[in-house]
Amino acid sequence: MPKIRTSRTKRPPEGFEEIEGILDEFAKKMRDAENESHEGKRKAESSWPIFQIAHQRSRYIYDLFYGREEAISRPLYEWLLKQGYADANLIAKWKKQGYEKLCCLRCIQTRDSNYQGSTCICRVPKAQLKSGTIVECVHCGCRGCSSDS
Amino acid sequence: MPPKADINKAGWEQSEFPILCETCLGDNAFVRMSKQEYARSCGACARPFTVFRWNPGSGMRFKSTVICQTCAKIKNVCQTCLLDLEYHLPTQVRDTALALKMQAPNSDINREYYAQNMDGKLDGNKTLLDSGRAMSAGKEMLKELARTDPYYKRNRPKICSFFVKGECTRGDECPYRHEKPVDNELSKQNIQDRYYGRNDPVAKKIMVGHADSQGLKPPEDTSITSLFLSSLPQSATEQSVRTQVVQSIPSVDPGQIKSVVHVAKSRCAFVNFKDRASAESAAQAWANGLDLDGERVTVKWGRGRPAAPQASTSRSVPVTS
Repeated sequence: MPKIRTSRTKRPPEGFEEIEGILDEFAKKMRDAENESHEGKRKAESSWPIFQIAHQRSRYIYDLFYGREEAISRPLYEWLLKQGYADANLIAKWKKQGYEKLCCLRCIQTRDSNYQGSTCICRVPKAQLKSGTIVECVHCGCRGCSSDS
Repeated sequence: MPPKADINKAGWEQSEFPILCETCLGDNAFVRMSKQEYARSCGACARPFTVFRWNPGSGMRFKSTVICQTCAKIKNVCQTCLLDLEYHLPTQVRDTALALKMQAPNSDINREYYAQNMDGKLDGNKTLLDSGRAMSAGKEMLKELARTDPYYKRNRPKICSFFVKGECTRGDECPYRHEKPVDNELSKQNIQDRYYGRNDPVAKKIMVGHADSQGLKPPEDTSITSLFLSSLPQSATEQSVRTQVVQSIPSVDPGQIKSVVHVAKSRCAFVNFKDRASAESAAQAWANGLDLDGERVTVKWGRGRPAAPQASTSRSVPVTS
């Protein structure tokens, strides 16, 4: 819930003005997703856009800092994480091998699954899934987030 | 020493592995099953029990146990499909064929008390049925009716209710069946009826079909309420016929038998019932014949009395030449 600018929050380090526009776009998209009607959607399905936008925003910031051109400075990156523009826990997973494209943190939570130690179906590589089954995982609507599909 | 357990204290059921039939388990030899203690209340006795849940094959819905193990042992049925474990037939069919009358109470606290007491008695793998005592004619009937290979259509997913309304937005990834629903007599089933063997539409269909195929099709003239037994053994008497008749159809009250006429000379007998329904259920139970003194007796429908001298349309047409 942070991101509310009060007089107590520290000012953003330099470089924020360039990305501010895009971050604002993300905020707008998120607001729209939150206000969408639930008609015609399943109960789980209505929260999927939230997860998707959160993933996209975190991805954007992750790419800015760890990507090929380091378009962001470390202080700015850490400020963004602190302010809640990106999910630090999710980014921590992206740094691990095999989890580079992880969709959300719920899908690797083994406690959420029916069988001991299992993860969500979206983590299974498409090669190992039978035939042309379309997968939309129930947690976040992900269609497959393993690193090789 | 632990304090003495109160034998009447309501105990809930725990089990290690469910009692299931082959079709319910599915075609895959490897099955991954989840177990949840006290997850639901039993469909028959309403006590909490251990629910097991598994996938019986790809493209199938996940099945789970619906009745507790005690209730399954009492009736010797599968915990999910409620069909007999030996013949895979509904309880009603098996009971009429084998002339079993179950004394289990089926309402309220009586039911729970009975189930709880049976729990202690049936520990291990005993079942309440002693099928040795059953008539061999009945067993033959069940063998004829029994399905030999598994019927996996039972494990298919349910019909997509959104598709029925035309609103299914999931399209290809919808796990439910996109077919038209059928609404016939077979759609109105419930667990209690199926378990106790009363008013089961599937059982009715099976038994009526079988009786028809054995030549015991109920005649159109509904006033015929009597059955004709032939090839009786020499040792049969009216008394022995009557006893055997009463014993072999527990679903029919002995008071419903109007009379038993035994003709020793031609070794046959007539059994007259008070109403058509009891006659029909008797015919279904005896579809493969009735066992009397070790001999198999053939059963046919009786013929109606000829109508009074007034015109009866289907009867004798005066021959004029």
